[in-house]
Amino acid sequence: MNNTLGRPVMTSPYLLWMLIFTLVPLGFMVYYGLTAADGSFTLQNIIAMAHPVHLKALWLSLVLALISTLICLALSYPLALILCNMKVNQNGFIIFIFVLPMWMNFLLRTLAWQNLLDHNGIINNILTFFHLPELNIINTPAAIVLGMVYDFLPFMILPIYNAMSRINKDVLDAARDLGAGDGTIFRRIIFPLTVPGMVSGITMVFVPALTTFVISDLLGGSKILLIGNVIDQEFMQGDNWNLGAGLSLVLMILVLLTMAITAKFDKGKEGVGLW
Amino acid sequence: MVKKAASRIYIGFIFLLLYAPIATLMLLSFNDSRTRAQWGGFTLKWYVKLFQDQGIMSALFTTLVIALLASLVASLLGTAAALGINAMGRRLRSAVMGLTNIPLLNADIVTAIALMLLFMRFVNLGFTTVVIGHITFCLPFVILSVLPKLAQLNPNIYEAALDLGASRKYAFYRVILPDIFPGVMTGFMLSFTMSMDDFIITHFTKGVGVDTLSTKIYTEVRKGIRPEIYAVSTLLFLVVLICLFLYNRQTAIQVKKQRIAAERPVEYDSDASSSFLTLSDPQKDVDPEAELRARRRAKGWKIAVGSAAGLLFAVLLVYSGMQGRSANEIYVYNWGEYMDPQIITQFEQETGIKVRYEEYSTNEEMYPKVKSGAATYDVVFPSDYMVQKMIDEDMLAKLDYSKIPNIKNIGASYMKSAQKFDPGNQYAIPYIWGTVGILYNKKMVHEPVHSWSILWDPKYKGEIYMQNSVRDAFSIPLLMEGHSLNSTNKQELEQAKDLLIKQKPLVQAYLVDEVRDKMIGNEGALGVIYSGEAIFCHDENPDLEYVVPDEGSNIWIDCAVIPKNAKNKEGAEEFLNFLCRPEVGVMNFNYITYSTPNVASQKLLPKDIQDNQIAFPDQSILDRCEPFQYLGPKMEAYYDQLWKEVKSY
Repeated sequence: MNNTLGRPVMTSPYLLWMLIFTLVPLGFMVYYGLTAADGSFTLQNIIAMAHPVHLKALWLSLVLALISTLICLALSYPLALILCNMKVNQNGFIIFIFVLPMWMNFLLRTLAWQNLLDHNGIINNILTFFHLPELNIINTPAAIVLGMVYDFLPFMILPIYNAMSRINKDVLDAARDLGAGDGTIFRRIIFPLTVPGMVSGITMVFVPALTTFVISDLLGGSKILLIGNVIDQEFMQGDNWNLGAGLSLVLMILVLLTMAITAKFDKGKEGVGLW
Repeated sequence: MVKKAASRIYIGFIFLLLYAPIATLMLLSFNDSRTRAQWGGFTLKWYVKLFQDQGIMSALFTTLVIALLASLVASLLGTAAALGINAMGRRLRSAVMGLTNIPLLNADIVTAIALMLLFMRFVNLGFTTVVIGHITFCLPFVILSVLPKLAQLNPNIYEAALDLGASRKYAFYRVILPDIFPGVMTGFMLSFTMSMDDFIITHFTKGVGVDTLSTKIYTEVRKGIRPEIYAVSTLLFLVVLICLFLYNRQTAIQVKKQRIAAERPVEYDSDASSSFLTLSDPQKDVDPEAELRARRRAKGWKIAVGSAAGLLFAVLLVYSGMQGRSANEIYVYNWGEYMDPQIITQFEQETGIKVRYEEYSTNEEMYPKVKSGAATYDVVFPSDYMVQKMIDEDMLAKLDYSKIPNIKNIGASYMKSAQKFDPGNQYAIPYIWGTVGILYNKKMVHEPVHSWSILWDPKYKGEIYMQNSVRDAFSIPLLMEGHSLNSTNKQELEQAKDLLIKQKPLVQAYLVDEVRDKMIGNEGALGVIYSGEAIFCHDENPDLEYVVPDEGSNIWIDCAVIPKNAKNKEGAEEFLNFLCRPEVGVMNFNYITYSTPNVASQKLLPKDIQDNQIAFPDQSILDRCEPFQYLGPKMEAYYDQLWKEVKSY
């Protein structure tokens, strides 16, 4: 026992930190969510999610977040396969390429998509130059999906790539020696071993996509009300923090449920982190 | 071969997707035009201006200090936690991991507001609260980066080191740390990146005088981003690109050397990606000599990180010294791009009072900050209805006219208009005013525009930009139907809501000041806009005309007020008096092109501007206009509810 590395007690400063700065604040949110403006107890802010306006916003958010997550998955998986087959000593470089865009401010990057997608924007100018039909998706749900895919793609690529590159090459060689074809190797070895990576990726993309409000504002022309927008407005404009807190609590529970379901598919003991 | 080409094309496509916006932003930093809607030719002037812009430079500095401090603390705390978690039993471990996931699973805005509620109860918001907030959301990233490294670790080597007589400390620093260091570095870099990119948590946890690049950008999104911001982002991006490139190259060379030294064939390195910022784990499978070198390198890293930390604390000490509120200092909270920076410089030189200047983008963003007392400002600039709301809630200090003699320069008619929301002119000095009207593109609209109803003409489907704020949006159908824009009649409001819903399919987007950029870029035929923007639009694109429809419109007045909790009322009064000077009003008009209520300033303007119908419309037009009034919390909530129904339709 004396020879083991690290002791559980080393976690205590961190736990103290999380207690003060995560759990206690969350308690404040629960308090706000369960009280009315005058401080009396009410469930009204929770039930408010059933209001048609909120329900529609929630539904739209779920649909758009799901579509974005699936597109991210469809784009990332082949990419990870390709990257893994490339020469090793290029990998570090390639990987940091996917993180580098984050060094430009998120708001600026999303705004830049306006310039690209506008009716007289950069993409349409290029398309017109080649006499191709114009792309008019700005201020539509399609533009929002594009924005989500763009912003969250690295969070899908990295864990999948990570899971894939950890597969021991000897295992693949052994399978090949034993007569397995490429299809079988993929189906029986690569795919099952990358499930934890996919689960991480899905979480990392789906959650922020579900709660975003900036992307729908900037690329959806504020015409599409997502649940993130509703919550943001209650806090920032409507000055109704109780309702905002109540709705966020419902959203949080929803997210936790989704994650619990996704985690069922993850048979790995630890899960693969983003990195 | 074909497969290889297809792979290359695919990677190219993803690469393009990720970097097209970056390239666009870089391009914009060389754009000679102030608006991003037009290409005005190549220039480097924004890069020059950038370094003269104290606001941006200090925001950049603050951003970097916060990011460094937050990621350092998070790395230390997180690594210790990871070591502890690694030693835990299964059940305890999953409980702790569940806790770790909370910040990742919560919407940012929830985390941010929850933190603000906590801070506000116990301390004053400031620089430290932002750092604490950032550490909190960085911690999970560090833990999740370090844990996989610990899992890969062979547990026996630590024991072996101890058996061979190493002390626990020695064994940890010489055996364990070099192996998990790439994970720690990844966590650190990831934290740093996330901290730099964060807006929401910073916004809610910051106190007065703390401004980061993100908060600056956010206030400017609505007003149009200043090109200097693109320039600073481009520079930052390039610096990081070069650093990471060099770092990777160096690591690559070392790995190669080690492999040669190890005299082993290059193998598939399953660990290559375990940290995505470093090329690979050079400590693996190498001979003792190479290992020694690697250790030395790890030690080099330790020294580097250590000295960086030392430097940082030194900088921070100086910085916190700067932060102290000196006696002769005022905190000013104004709309984005709403005052000529020269005015502040001149005021500081003349009076010796230091001005700390911060910006917001909507009344509603400013209100909770002042209301909660989380931040104490000395001068704020709310609009008409917000002035009334703040008076109602006893948030404002009465003006002492004897300390602000220049108030006599403000036109009597404006003071009279202001009485509608500030009876007796006790609290607010009109600062900037204007009307709301329709901006239309002559090339696309070939009929006279005189009624709001043109915004319901199906001919212009997809060519209309509406205002994205409740009161502005509802005032249009209300006026069109002949009602007051301060209507509290629920039937009239329902009718207005139905009209807005009917109009929605025709609307291209609901925007605030971004209407300006869209109209300049010929992205639409009609846009609802504030008169001050209209002058700028007409200058940039002469096809654009502005009209106040016959049914009347909103005359808005943004005022200067002193909040009740102001700490330096004398300084604030001196500042207000300075703002009311005739020549200062002229400077401001030339900078922001919004109309001034200062008649002494108006007389100093060139004749053609004095007669400009957009800036200073005839009395007959003004007679049709009405300012917004605060309608009380119940009615405001009712408006908000209707607006949500329009938006969700």
